[in-house]
Amino acid sequence: MQKRFKRDINSLNSIFKFIATFAERHDFDQGVLFALNLVVEELFTNVVKYNAENQNEVLIELEKRNKDITIALTDFDVEPFDITKRPELNLDQHLGERKVGGLGIHLVKKMVDKIDYEYKDRCSKIILTKHLEK
Amino acid sequence: MFDAKVNDKGELVLSGRFDASQVEKARPIFDNLQKSCVVNFNELDYISSAGLSVLLATQKRLNESGEGLKLCGLNKYIRDVFRYAGFDTVFEID
Repeated sequence: MQKRFKRDINSLNSIFKFIATFAERHDFDQGVLFALNLVVEELFTNVVKYNAENQNEVLIELEKRNKDITIALTDFDVEPFDITKRPELNLDQHLGERKVGGLGIHLVKKMVDKIDYEYKDRCSKIILTKHLEK
Repeated sequence: MFDAKVNDKGELVLSGRFDASQVEKARPIFDNLQKSCVVNFNELDYISSAGLSVLLATQKRLNESGEGLKLCGLNKYIRDVFRYAGFDTVFEID
């Protein structure tokens, strides 16, 4: 399944509906649905936040193949933004030193099994793979 | 949709989904908290880093005056998100 979404935080509702349709089609449990919602929201809001001036829609692709779900988000006509190269978050910091920046990407890394990044012809594509448990 | 109401025990009961599109609605509610408070998650289905950031900012502000948030009723998926974020050490969670 694939669909393009307006680069706007208010697209989230339509994105969640799109994910719910995909999850129903494959009979995923609540845990998988929750994880899909979270990782897609974090990637999408990142794109909205850091490329706000760009007017292009964002492409979201969801696919199930055997025991894997792949989630791809493509941002068109942008500079590269490779989340796999982002520094790890320090969770040992005292409350006063805690910062929220990077938390979304940290959660994505925790909730999927593999993250790939491609950048070609000014298209930035993040591909997540989540293995389904038995 | 996100909502928050105070119940008869004085707990702030969250409901719905606490995602990035709901932060503008949620932030003033948390900004109004001046004292320690129990935040009840029983009716909350979902939270992302956007929601966590509102809770973290509130906790930091309240801690400065010796107050704080105590959280209860988290479903298992939300509890996992708190654990992955390392927030299980930042909040008292029942």
